[in-house]
Amino acid sequence: MTPEHADIVVVGAGPAGLAAAASLAGRGMHRILVVDRDDEAGGLPRFCHHPGFGWEYTHRLESGPGLVRRLLRALDPGIITIAIRTSALAVRPGPEIDIVGIECGHVRVRPRVVVLATGIRERPRSARLVPGRRPAEGILTTGQLQQMVARGVPVKGRRAVVVGTEHVAFSILLTARHAGLEIMAMVGAEDRVMSYAGAGLAARFLMGVPIHLSSKIEDIHGSERVESVTLCGPAGTRTIPCDTVIFSGDFIPDAALLPGSGIDIARVTAGPSVDQFGRTSAVGVFAAGNLLRAVETSGLAAIEGARVGTNVAAYLEGMLGWPRDAASIRVGDGLSYVVPQYWAPSAGLGGAVQALPVSLRALADIRRARLSLSEDGQAIWTGHPTKTLRHRRLALPAAALDRLRGGDIALRIDPA
Amino acid sequence: MSDRFDIAIVGAGVVGCAIARELSRYALRTVLIEARSDLGDGVSKGNSAVLSTGADTPFGTLECRLVARGHQRYLAEAPAMGLPVMPIGSLTVAWNETERERLEAMHKETVAAGFHSGQLVGADEIYRRVPHLSPGAVSAIWEPEEGIVDPFSTPYAYALDAVTNGVEFRSTCPVERAERRDGAWHLHTPKGEVVADTVINCGGLAGARIDAMAGYTDFVMRPRRGQFIVFDKSARPLLDVVLKPVPAPTYRGILMTPTVFGNILVGPTSEEIEDPDDWRVTREGLDTLVAAARKMLPRLLEHEVTATYCGIRPGTERPEYRIIPRPSDRWLTVGGIRSTGLSASLGIAEHVAGIVVGEMTKGERKLETTAVRVPSLAAGGDRPWLNGGADDAAYREIICHCEGITVGEVRDALASPLPPQSLKALKRRTRVMFGRCQGFFCGARVQALFDRLSKERPQ
Repeated sequence: MTPEHADIVVVGAGPAGLAAAASLAGRGMHRILVVDRDDEAGGLPRFCHHPGFGWEYTHRLESGPGLVRRLLRALDPGIITIAIRTSALAVRPGPEIDIVGIECGHVRVRPRVVVLATGIRERPRSARLVPGRRPAEGILTTGQLQQMVARGVPVKGRRAVVVGTEHVAFSILLTARHAGLEIMAMVGAEDRVMSYAGAGLAARFLMGVPIHLSSKIEDIHGSERVESVTLCGPAGTRTIPCDTVIFSGDFIPDAALLPGSGIDIARVTAGPSVDQFGRTSAVGVFAAGNLLRAVETSGLAAIEGARVGTNVAAYLEGMLGWPRDAASIRVGDGLSYVVPQYWAPSAGLGGAVQALPVSLRALADIRRARLSLSEDGQAIWTGHPTKTLRHRRLALPAAALDRLRGGDIALRIDPA
Repeated sequence: MSDRFDIAIVGAGVVGCAIARELSRYALRTVLIEARSDLGDGVSKGNSAVLSTGADTPFGTLECRLVARGHQRYLAEAPAMGLPVMPIGSLTVAWNETERERLEAMHKETVAAGFHSGQLVGADEIYRRVPHLSPGAVSAIWEPEEGIVDPFSTPYAYALDAVTNGVEFRSTCPVERAERRDGAWHLHTPKGEVVADTVINCGGLAGARIDAMAGYTDFVMRPRRGQFIVFDKSARPLLDVVLKPVPAPTYRGILMTPTVFGNILVGPTSEEIEDPDDWRVTREGLDTLVAAARKMLPRLLEHEVTATYCGIRPGTERPEYRIIPRPSDRWLTVGGIRSTGLSASLGIAEHVAGIVVGEMTKGERKLETTAVRVPSLAAGGDRPWLNGGADDAAYREIICHCEGITVGEVRDALASPLPPQSLKALKRRTRVMFGRCQGFFCGARVQALFDRLSKERPQ
């Protein structure tokens, strides 16, 4: 099927986009086109060969490529076309979308619905304003290194320093070892490992990788290739010889299609602001997956995609529409963001729609904190006191949100 | 290996390449030799890419004259080479009464020096042109003729033109020793001896060192480093002019400007450095640039940073160009081309060719030359899938998503008579990996494509 004939164009064939396509087909929709700019479908998980992908969606222990295979198997090629090597260039109100692809060439089409599922990327060294030389070789993100290994591109380095301590930093330890890189150190700006404490312990004691916390890179040396990095931390300044620096984590939505699209962008997440059905501010444009914020698991992204697929079907059947008529959810001090940012009254829609799981983050670690939800100043729900960590999703049960009636909604967190 | 040339140009920066292009118009055997593996890989890769009119250079100097002439020629000749010129104009903004007085005095001098295009404008006009500028601007000089250009494609276009018209280019060819014997200069390089009647030293940061090999010690290098931050294309709607502070006597200050690629650029700092090879961005430098952005255009800081870089200007102990002809020795030095080399390049080339052809060697002007055209990399420029190129599948497959560069453009760059020898050279030729992700998405595929096509290329 060519773009001109598509009713629904899904941009991005990662977990969210593929799950959205499957769910649309499951709801009886057809003429679904999924475009992906890469040379294969699957998105970022296809480069991550360790287990732990898609759990919430599949309830199976699978690698990234395993999850991708499962998502692809669920798609009926008679209903869904996946066009790889095909890029969305621009989205405009309408929705109107410009596409250039190896098969379809350059086209401008007006499908009934566009689902944006363009995912995330890591902030590179430059965006982190890391000082030092800029050697031609040896400065990478984990995403680039994972792709190099997966694609068989020679990794010339021997000794690497990993910057960041999120989950992906520990994932790259395994990939880097596989590529023959010795890990000289991990460097974290925060005062703790951002991933599970167990990951840090395993890296330190099983793999013998020193982890420098509360530390920053103050200098990178080398002209053609990295020769060493200088760290500054509580123990003072030290120079570590290495030929590779891997910048990990610090994800950001890949939201390049948003400026000029008529879609409101949320300041904190840098992704589109959506309501619980995945509706953006632009008519006919939905969004799902990690484009909404960085970063949740591939399983959660797939669940979002699947639910947005359901909601797109509801829209095409006339049950949902625009304007969204949704109230914004305010987040109080101590909270970083909530996705969805808006909540629309859903009385009478029943099972025809599915609300997105709530993504919520605190700004700081709190030993015991209590999350609460209020509407028009009235407490709707108060959680149990729990340990709260930055970078970790805070749970907010769907049942709490079902009680909302379209008033002024606020979320807050307080030490308990 | 020993060939005898009429002229050897040492250094393939923007100035050396422009001179090579100029001399390719004459029936002369010219060689352009470069120490690094690619042209434009030294001083020329780290500038602000603003095409100056000369109105901000010291009046009455050679620099001022050559910048003005370079500007004029660039506007006339660059478009035919496919080089983008965006004449967006500049505002030099005064923020208080002292600066306003300096600005008004500056404007009088500028007019007296023959630059008539600049106008004094008030706050209304400033904020009309830059609505997001911080409050407090008092007055400004609006210079409509200043513009922005592509700093990477410029030396490439010059060199491609030169090579197409008979100049020989040799890269990875650092000059290690120079001696004059048998009426010619013998330049010793790891790739053999280059023999030429006349040498033009455009060595940039190595200018004084190369001069010294021939026994000339007219100047000493005083390199100055300038750091820059490039903001994401999402910031482009914030600014559509070159924004400059009122200059101090020795330093023109931190400017903010769109780039032809659609980003916003902030810089440069100005630091005297001991080591001419100290290509570091520093915490202090980046902090200074962020502070300048916060002060003048605070909304810029809502946008992501795409890149940071620095340039090193080959200043000397005197704040002026050091173009030193030595007709009897047949050695001409083009030194001290500090921050205005890109703007002045075609002016310098004409000036130098005027000295060389006539005073130092003889060459007939060729009746015909072959024109060259480089691909436009500017934002909003022709994309290969938009026109006839769409028949070729490689022009329909984007490999660098942030910059929208196709497989076909990478293939073409590698098939050039001056092919990039490294990934960083490929970046400058095509802009792959130059965007906001810096290779997160495309780095592995681009490397694989570069490796494959470089291997397939006949050597």
